[in-house]
Amino acid sequence: MIFEPIQIPWTILGLFIVFNVGLILTGTVRKIGARVGRRRGIRIYQPYIDLVKNYALRSNFTHGMMFYLAPVFRLSGGVGLIVFMPLIYDSVHFSNFSFAGDAILIMYFMFFGTLGMALGAGEGGVPFSAIGISRGLSQVTAAEIPLILAFLAVFIQTESFSITEIVAAQQGGFLNWTLFTNPLATATAMLAFLGSMMRSPFDIVLAPQEIPIGPPTEFHSSFLGVLSTNRAVFPMAKTILYVNLFFGGATSWPELILKSFLLYMWSVVVGTIYPRFRTEQSIRWFMKYPLILGVITILVLQFG
Amino acid sequence: MDFGQIAVSVGFLLILIGVWGILTQKNIIKIVIGFSVFDTGLHMIMVGIGYVKGGTAPILDGAIAPGTAPINIVAGIVDPVPQALVLTAIVIGLGVTALMLAYVVRLYEDRKSLDISSYEDLKW
Amino acid sequence: MVNLILINPIYIIGIGLGTAFLLGFFKKGKSVAWALMLAALAVMTYISFTWLWSFIFNGQLPEQVYTAGFKPPFSINLLMGKSEAFFTFLISFVGFLGGIYLFDKLKEQGTHAISVYLILIMGLNGIVMTRDIFNLFVFLEIASIATAGLIVLTPDIKAFSAGFKYMIASGLISGFLLIGIIFAYYFGGTLNIDFLIQADLLAVKGGVFAVFLIIIALLLELKPFPANGWGIDAYEASPAGINAVISAASAGAVYYVLSKVLPIADAKWYTVTAVVGMITFLGSNLMGIKQADAKRMLGYSSVGQVGLLLVFLGLSKQLGINFEFIVFGIIISHYLAKAGLFWLAGIVKTGKLKEWGILRRKPVLVFFMGTFIFALLGLPPFPSFFAKWTLVMTLSAAGMNLWVGLILLGSLVEAIYLFRWLGYTVKLDDNKELSLSTPLYKTIPVWVFGLLTYYIGYLSSTMVPGGSSLSMFYIPLAFVGVLFIVDKFLPVLIKNTVSIAAMAYYGWYYMADLTEFRMLFAIIFIGGGIITLIAGYAKNGKRIGFYPFAMMMYAGLAGLLLSENILQFFISWELMTLGSYILILRGKKSMPHALSYMLFSLGGAFLILAGLGLAYASSGANSISLDILKNVNQYSGLIYAFLAVGFMTKTAAIGLHIWLPGAHAEAESDVSPMVSAILLKAGMFGLVVLMLSMGSQSLGGVSLPYLLGWLGAITAILGNIMAVFQEDAKRLLAYSSVGQLGYVVFAMAFMSHLGWLTALAFALNHFVFKALLFLAIGGVVMRTKTKTMYEMGGLIKRMPFSFISVLIGIIALSGLPPLTGFAGKWLSYNAVIEKGWYFQGFLVSIAGLVAFLYCFRIIHVIFLGQPKDKFKNIKEAPLPMLIAQYILIGAIMLFSIMPNMVLKPVGDFLIQYFPDGALQWQGGTAISRLGRWSGVAIMNITMGIFGIIFVWLLFISRKAVKVKPFNIFYSGEAPSRPELTHFGYNFFAPYKKAVGFLVQPLVTRFWYGLADILHSISDLVRRLYNGNGQTYAFYVIIFMVVFSFFTIGG
Repeated sequence: MIFEPIQIPWTILGLFIVFNVGLILTGTVRKIGARVGRRRGIRIYQPYIDLVKNYALRSNFTHGMMFYLAPVFRLSGGVGLIVFMPLIYDSVHFSNFSFAGDAILIMYFMFFGTLGMALGAGEGGVPFSAIGISRGLSQVTAAEIPLILAFLAVFIQTESFSITEIVAAQQGGFLNWTLFTNPLATATAMLAFLGSMMRSPFDIVLAPQEIPIGPPTEFHSSFLGVLSTNRAVFPMAKTILYVNLFFGGATSWPELILKSFLLYMWSVVVGTIYPRFRTEQSIRWFMKYPLILGVITILVLQFG
Repeated sequence: MDFGQIAVSVGFLLILIGVWGILTQKNIIKIVIGFSVFDTGLHMIMVGIGYVKGGTAPILDGAIAPGTAPINIVAGIVDPVPQALVLTAIVIGLGVTALMLAYVVRLYEDRKSLDISSYEDLKW
Repeated sequence: MVNLILINPIYIIGIGLGTAFLLGFFKKGKSVAWALMLAALAVMTYISFTWLWSFIFNGQLPEQVYTAGFKPPFSINLLMGKSEAFFTFLISFVGFLGGIYLFDKLKEQGTHAISVYLILIMGLNGIVMTRDIFNLFVFLEIASIATAGLIVLTPDIKAFSAGFKYMIASGLISGFLLIGIIFAYYFGGTLNIDFLIQADLLAVKGGVFAVFLIIIALLLELKPFPANGWGIDAYEASPAGINAVISAASAGAVYYVLSKVLPIADAKWYTVTAVVGMITFLGSNLMGIKQADAKRMLGYSSVGQVGLLLVFLGLSKQLGINFEFIVFGIIISHYLAKAGLFWLAGIVKTGKLKEWGILRRKPVLVFFMGTFIFALLGLPPFPSFFAKWTLVMTLSAAGMNLWVGLILLGSLVEAIYLFRWLGYTVKLDDNKELSLSTPLYKTIPVWVFGLLTYYIGYLSSTMVPGGSSLSMFYIPLAFVGVLFIVDKFLPVLIKNTVSIAAMAYYGWYYMADLTEFRMLFAIIFIGGGIITLIAGYAKNGKRIGFYPFAMMMYAGLAGLLLSENILQFFISWELMTLGSYILILRGKKSMPHALSYMLFSLGGAFLILAGLGLAYASSGANSISLDILKNVNQYSGLIYAFLAVGFMTKTAAIGLHIWLPGAHAEAESDVSPMVSAILLKAGMFGLVVLMLSMGSQSLGGVSLPYLLGWLGAITAILGNIMAVFQEDAKRLLAYSSVGQLGYVVFAMAFMSHLGWLTALAFALNHFVFKALLFLAIGGVVMRTKTKTMYEMGGLIKRMPFSFISVLIGIIALSGLPPLTGFAGKWLSYNAVIEKGWYFQGFLVSIAGLVAFLYCFRIIHVIFLGQPKDKFKNIKEAPLPMLIAQYILIGAIMLFSIMPNMVLKPVGDFLIQYFPDGALQWQGGTAISRLGRWSGVAIMNITMGIFGIIFVWLLFISRKAVKVKPFNIFYSGEAPSRPELTHFGYNFFAPYKKAVGFLVQPLVTRFWYGLADILHSISDLVRRLYNGNGQTYAFYVIIFMVVFSFFTIGG
């Protein structure tokens, strides 16, 4: 595969679809959450309104260079993930720029946005944002540890880093999905998944009760707009990656959207049931069950 | 047991006594005396070793008939070499004793003590 | 060569004795007497010199000197052979210089003292030359009485009590010697040593008794451990000038006597001598550790060195033809160094080691002190180095590995206290209340011996086997020498420029032909060197003592790459260690860290030496080419392990890492990048040479690369976790280096194409970003005068360029695409899966995650958050440092966009070593069996997205108002203590709570515990020396009894 200019419009289209799906999904989830709590909830399209409002706000201030760069880093991270990932299996148009790299690239690119975001919030100068970042980084890295194990297991199993090849290996019936061919790895990954979706019990970073103001509070108006754009893209990117690695990928948009939705709901369900962890509790939690599961997975592959 | 053997035996005895004195006496003058005894024993051994039974003094005088073949002269006199050596040894021993006593004087002037355990400033 | 007129050696004795008597007439004219003594000593020295000259250059044959008109055995005869000429020359020469040095003391005490001094030198000369054993006894007595007299040259109570103890012990010893002599005469019928040897005393019944007494008495004269308290006390009490003579001349003389008398005994006695020597060497050095007084410590060291000589004597048969060279090297080093150090001790006057800082008032004396210490410890380019090298090679070839091990162990222990002392001198306070008097008559001897040390070192280098190959060091070391000479006069600007030019020139003319690995490392060493030197323009003044040592380090590094044989390699290794040690020592608080750096490095170097010795032996002992590592026949596992551990003291693998954080963090701003980004790679180069030559080896059934893999992985993760919890910015970076080098070792252990490509990518990358980070942080530290991160904050406004450097640095470090760091990560995943070391690979991946934490921390806490009041007007880092940083950033960018530019050629030459699993390259895209990676595409896409979003955000927020940090949440009013609003201390507290137990300083505790044990043992054992003369005498007797068990009894 090499780069051809025609890929650019197709990639943008894919990105656009993912973005919209992400926004709608956010709205839907919040609606469901409200209904479960016997509230009326927001309109499904409320995220669109919020986005437009943020971009349109006239009061606007900045703290400096890094403050500018932070949302840019963040959104580039989210968009980059989508762009480097094939969305639809075996589709010429929606393979995006996946020729540039493979799953390893995706794994490391996930941190690109995190870093910029953290730096920007840091420049705001409010100690609470730094505290929030410290907690967030601690938790994300802790969650990432079992995740790496699960990913490694998949790579080892299919002997490839290429997402396309990993999906190809899962074709031909749902029993070929990693979910069934390597349930241990999938279980590990699903537990780790919770840690990066910013939902209870792992949402202390954003929790208003814990620190009065967290990193996102630092940003407002158009900066916040860019960030909320990313809030739609980034979880979708992550979910799609999971779909590709563990749930047989998708051969069409509806399949992708359905699978993503169900996967997304997993974190929502857990989040509604379990109360919040403190940071060191969540680190310990990740160091226990997911890590042990993951290590077993790897040891089975290495010595089994 | 001829004279030489007696001298050697007594010499060893004196050496033992001297070493015993050096190792056990706390008084530094007595230690110096220990050395003198040690040296005396040593000198006796030296002389005793050179002794030839029935030999005369190693001087070419009347005791040896003129014209005796050299080989017979050697058999007839005690070995002159240890006797020469012992002279040197005595001189050296004297020097050592004198030096030690000089030290004792200085040490005593300073601390008014002759006990060797008073002079343990330098250690470890 | 010029023929010198030979003068009958009897005149050495005659002149000495005659002048001493003559001096009695000069009761008043003390200066005249002193001058007369010097003249006599000069003539004595000259006589020996003429002989030495003739023996060396004119093929002179040894000559007997008969006395009293008879031939031996009927008269006393003297022998003047090459050894005698050598030893008498040494004795008279140090006597001469020592005489100059003692000017004030001798003048104070008058003519008697002057005569006694002359008599001592004469006696020592006699000891060396005489072939008559009774005459020997007489000379020994003369020397020992004279010594006892000179001990009290400074007449105080300590001196007298020490002199008395000395007399007790030496009196006993000479008594036993005399008994031995008389019995030797009785059984052997002669007093002539040569005839006694022929008489074969041991064959005669009872003769063994004579042999026993003679040899043990001579051994005891050499102050064997532990029957040597009397000698040590004398060293402490007597004036330093006398000590110099006792240590340099007396020890040599008695040693030589023993070596000429020992042939009356048989092989068993040689072995016992060697064992006694070894015990003395180890025991004395162990005790040296606990000493606080300079002269006493040097006394222990002297005794230890003589012990080492005894070892050689005992092993002389095994050392064969190399015996002379080895003894020469050690003796001459000991002679020059110990005399020099004692003289320095006399200049400093204060006994306390911790007050030696006053010596810094005369930097040149500190320079010579360092010279002497390095010479004592056998570091290049000093004679003892070549001796030790030859020794290890010879002993290894003879299969005597235990001896090699013990000798190296003893040397390491000796290094502990000598380097600690050097550290005190260079770093501790210069107490203004103490005076330092340096009259010419005291400094000249030091100068002479100091310079001679270098000259003899050069001579030795030409004599050692393979010495002709050492000419490669001449040019760089000559340059270093010139730098030393001009160091005091030139400003930084000139020295820096000259150094950069010299490195560029050297790199261009000598290293441009290097290929493969060597070329790669040449880029790191020389290129890195030049870049870090550019940063040096930021310094003002003269920076005395920096450039010579920096250049020495780089000379060593370059030498490693140019080495073709193990001798060149090892010398380079030591030069590099030496230079870097001084560089590290220059830091403000780096004294203890420099010491631990040096000790670990020396320990590592000794392991390398032992490994090379084994390799030399096991490959047939006929070549010193580096290729012998390929032909190792036995001990291959052991050699591999020794060398690997030795090299890993430099890469700071976990367990051997405790020196690194302090050493790197406390070093100066531009030294940190040198020692961290560049120097560590020397260890890696060592591993490259080792692994390419020896492949995979196993020890005890365990594959060593496999172990290395685990070690590397564990080092990576623990190093990084430790970095997370540091509050000190430079320590954080230092620990990060530990972790990063862990990656390198891990990847090299794969022994596969991809593994090595990974390792080299990591190494190159680490070199660039660590140099960048250390320079940037160094610049910040220079301005803020603190390294503690939470004391900073908000510096982005004041130091934006440094901020960008750090930002680029941490992105490269953490391996985020699109910068270079990702190359290593991607390659390592490929290599891990190919190799099947999943779990270790997983550990390394986590290490990468952890790195992300500290990367964020260092940039956030320093540059972001609330600015501190006191740093409100701080300036950006100096321009030269920024220039150096931006050159490095350029390198990172280039490598990020075109990784193929470097990795493809590297992969190409790796194919010949590891043909399988090479990457395919399609332009800038790397394709492995598992995946693909296109640096240029990633860079373009990322930058494209980034750019678009950035422009868009700029557009939509074009009306944004710039606000000050407190404007929003504090309503524009600064809180009373803004430092409370900066979150920086204990940044990752939750992590510490959760996994802090992983980084308990267990390793540190282990090494400190070891050090404590060593100190406790030293403290315990030295209590043997309770200061009581009788106890010392008792030890003499005990020593005899024990010795008799092993010789007569056994």
